[in-house]
Parts: sequence; C-alpha cells; structure tokens
Amino acid sequence: MADTTEANERLVCAILAEQVSTLRDRMDASTAFDLLWRTSALLSWLSGLLGDLSRHNANTTPVLERERAEAIAEVAEIRGELDKLAFFQAQRQDFARQIADCVVTALERMAVAEMPAGTSFSSGDLAALYVSDDQRKLHDAVVQRLSS
Amino acid sequence: MSVILVLDDSATMVMSLSHILKGAGYEVETGMNGREGINKLGEGIKPSVILTDLNMPELDGIGFIKEARKIAATRFTPIIVLTTESGGRKRDEARAAGASGWLTKPAEPSQLLSVVKQLCPAK
Repeated sequence: MADTTEANERLVCAILAEQVSTLRDRMDASTAFDLLWRTSALLSWLSGLLGDLSRHNANTTPVLERERAEAIAEVAEIRGELDKLAFFQAQRQDFARQIADCVVTALERMAVAEMPAGTSFSSGDLAALYVSDDQRKLHDAVVQRLSS
Repeated sequence: MSVILVLDDSATMVMSLSHILKGAGYEVETGMNGREGINKLGEGIKPSVILTDLNMPELDGIGFIKEARKIAATRFTPIIVLTTESGGRKRDEARAAGASGWLTKPAEPSQLLSVVKQLCPAK
C-alpha cells in the first residue's frame, strides 16, 4: 500500500515537473522585447531625422522650430521609458524563469527514486537550489508561517 | 569603439543588455555561459569591461571569473557581476574570484550605464 502511494506521488511529481517546464518555456517573451527595442531604435532614428530636416529647411518658422524641439524631447523621454520598461521586464522574466527552473528541478528529484527508503526531499534540499535572496526570503517566510 | 562582453544564460537578458549598451555607443560581444565567454577571449576579443551573470550552465560566473583572471589579457579587466543574488556569501565568493563590482537585478539602465561608463567611457 505504501509502495503504491509512493509510486503515485512520484508520478504526480513527474507530471507537475513537465507542466511547470512547459509553463517556463511559454514565458519566453522575446518577440515582445524585440518589438520594444525596434520601437526604441525607430524613435531614435526619427528624432535624428527631425533634426536633419530642420537643418535643411530654409523656410522654417519659430513655431515649427519650437514644435520640433518639443517633439524631440518627448521622443527622447518615451524612448528612455521604453528602454527602462524592456530592461525591467527582461529581468523579471529572468527571475520568474529561475524560480520555475528551481520548481522543475525539485519536482524531478522528487519524481525519481534516487533517495534511500525512508528519506525524502527536504526543505533544506530545496533551499540548496535557490539562486536569489528573494527565493530564500520567501522560503524562510513559509517555513516560519507553517511552524508557528 | 570600446567592447563590452556580456555573459548571461537568459537570451532576453543578453538582448536587453546589448540594446542598452549599443545605444550608449559600445560594441557588444555576448555569450550564454562562462565557457562561451572564455572561448570568446580565446578568439582574441579584448573587452574593456565584462558583465557576467553568476548562475549559468556549463561554467558559472565564479568559474568564468577565475579562468578569465588566469588569462594575461583579462587579468585586470573590470568584471561586473549582474545577478539576482544579493547575498553576502556569494558576493564574497565573487570578489575572492576576482570580480570588480556587483549589480543586483532588477537594476535600471541608468545604474548599469553609470557603472560601465565609470569603468570605460564610450568612444
């Protein structure tokens, strides 16, 4: 009976490992990032183009010049915000992928019968897989909550 | 143009870092792990600054720093660790291996460029 339960638990862990692994692969947002960076590069190019057009236009007026300067300033601000957003999101995605990697590794280890009978995958074993302080803080918070 | 070598096992992070550094006027070489980084150095690339993640497959950031410090051309090249690890033990380990500085993710583009520009102004 105990053997059957253990086999079932291993099967569940193996299935969960595959599911989280699939989820991790679907986190890839490189197309969205690529679009953000292309937009940022395009804005930079357009900004330069506005400046060039202005320099080669003898019929410019003070109003046009002011609007050009305002447009260039706005473009620069939006470009900076886009770069910041893309960089921040890339780091968040990287962090989420690392957490998913950790869960997959833990489930895979729990799914195989490589540990001696009577032993199990401990929270300490799990902690050894962490790659960031955020994971360790979360771990400590859960351990503290469940032990109080 | 100054060359920055970027090492990270996340393709998105590599693309993101490259975009920011290229936008600031740097030439960028990339690798997905420490082994690729060592191979790049073996090909004769002479980076002015190296940015590396810590947790990477094949050869991790600490291993890369140790190997890079054995190569004459990169013995004194600034190596900045960019990682989700902010723990003191890892930081000490990286410093002992020869890391010059540390940036904890999430960082802002301005923080990254400020550190890189201090070490190597874009030409």
